Amino acid sequence: MVRVLAVLNAVRRAVWRGQGSFLSIGTNNFLIFTAYFLRQTGTFLYLLLALLIFFPLSADPLRKVPAERLALWPLDRREWWILRILTPWLNPITWFLAAATAWAVHHVMTWQLLGIVAGLFVLSFVLSDLSGGVWEGLARRVPAFGGLLRELIRNNLRQMICTLDFWLALILSVGTTIYRIADRTAPPEAFLMMSMMIILALSSYAQCLFGLDGAAGLTRYRLLPLHGWQILLAKDAAFLLVTLALTLALNPLTGLAAALMVLAVGHEQSVKHIKPQVRWRFSTSASLGNGVVQVTALFIAGYGVTRTSVLLLIPCAAIYGISVWWFGRRL
Amino acid sequence: MISCRDLTCRYGEFVAVDRLSLEVAAGSICAFLGPNGAGKSTTVKMLTGLIAPTSGSATVAGLDVVRDSLEIKRRIGVLPENLGLFDDLTVDEHLYLTGDVYKLSRAETKDRSNQLLRALHLEHGRHTFASRCSHGMRKKTALAMALLANPKVLFLDEPLEAIDPVTAKTITDLLITLSQRGVTVFLTSHILAAVEQFATRVVLIKKGVVAWNSTIAEVPGSLEKLYFDLVEAPAAEDLAWLGSSQS
Repeated sequence: MVRVLAVLNAVRRAVWRGQGSFLSIGTNNFLIFTAYFLRQTGTFLYLLLALLIFFPLSADPLRKVPAERLALWPLDRREWWILRILTPWLNPITWFLAAATAWAVHHVMTWQLLGIVAGLFVLSFVLSDLSGGVWEGLARRVPAFGGLLRELIRNNLRQMICTLDFWLALILSVGTTIYRIADRTAPPEAFLMMSMMIILALSSYAQCLFGLDGAAGLTRYRLLPLHGWQILLAKDAAFLLVTLALTLALNPLTGLAAALMVLAVGHEQSVKHIKPQVRWRFSTSASLGNGVVQVTALFIAGYGVTRTSVLLLIPCAAIYGISVWWFGRRL
Repeated sequence: MISCRDLTCRYGEFVAVDRLSLEVAAGSICAFLGPNGAGKSTTVKMLTGLIAPTSGSATVAGLDVVRDSLEIKRRIGVLPENLGLFDDLTVDEHLYLTGDVYKLSRAETKDRSNQLLRALHLEHGRHTFASRCSHGMRKKTALAMALLANPKVLFLDEPLEAIDPVTAKTITDLLITLSQRGVTVFLTSHILAAVEQFATRVVLIKKGVVAWNSTIAEVPGSLEKLYFDLVEAPAAEDLAWLGSSQS
């Protein structure tokens, strides 16, 4: 039992340290600004955020121990089973499920809802073992585009799909596109707004473009015989491709203008304060001040292009170009 | 080909490299040796433009490491300490990335990549993501990237560690051939016996200061003895509990 307790203690420490990374949602532009502007009317969006975060949060805690290490420890069969049964209780979602079951017993919650939550939990728990393979399959399908920076852009696209920001934006995009197809009378303002919401969902990522590169990736960037602006351009190209794809069926020009402004403002934090990010989490905004400027610029550019003139894209592109040149020199 | 004059790097109060001066001629293999934390990797980082020296100057291929860093990067190949790989690219894609940024044609890159992967016994793992590669595979990938663009100067940070014996032999043979063709090699290593076989110059560094600098022929006795005498002797701790009946 001493061995089991020792392993449990190690897993508990690893799990609790890992939980801190989920707090990244607290500094994410999307949550901050929807909570500020929409308050209670944004319940659906908060549920969406909760659902997205639910998947990585439900991961099997025992996976924190490398499989080879676990196999090498002198644990007998009984001890292994005790570990298997106890480790899920290190996950706060398990306790939430236990509480939900108690609520269902006392009719505070319906059994159907409990079944859905429990089903999602079990699915996520099992999927956490398969997620590596799923991601790899997805990553291999990421296309390469031509030019000097093609492999860098591909790398950056793959990094983007490892963030929950991307999946949130994708859900918003797909949901709105389906709505557009289903309801031909839907007002165009809705698509303008949703295009900007998609860029808002990705805006925190634009503040930490190098957050998933790690020390090794940053070393490689410094060793490549490329100008700083070229490296930044490769990052931005991936971002712009994703935003363009997600807003294509809605309002792509609004999406493009907003994305250019979000990147132009976000470069400062991306380059000067590189903040490491964790995969399958929401991106952490490096600075609230920068986030406020980003969101203001996003809405001004987005509305401006749609309401006044498409020519507003020119100053947006110019500001973006200056930002790439200026912050590229600092890379 | 590589020249340093009073090269210094400070991290706050800590002096990582202290007034390092050395000359490495074209076509030589310079082994830069020392214990962990002696300043080897910091020196490599300064010479490859990864960090700026606090003071002093250095040139690589006749170019100043601070002023002409971009031009230097076009002429050198580097195996950095942390290997510098992207988790989200495969072995193959890393080589294509290198080919693209060094402006090699796709056909040329493919040709050279195939040869390098064969030479380094890495063909089987060419489609593996770097994040899934073993340390040895990652090191070979980074080495292949360093060689792909046919550099004039090679900086290799511990190229022989975590490498299987056959590939280690391939790498040492390759380095000897490169040196005979005029390529300058500057490497760090902890495997003294191997380095002694192919290095033409030896520089020992201790606490950021050069403790020995000569050609390999001028080393008195074995390199290992010189290292133990000048840099660091093995610890003589008696771990009495090891092998005892106590678990």
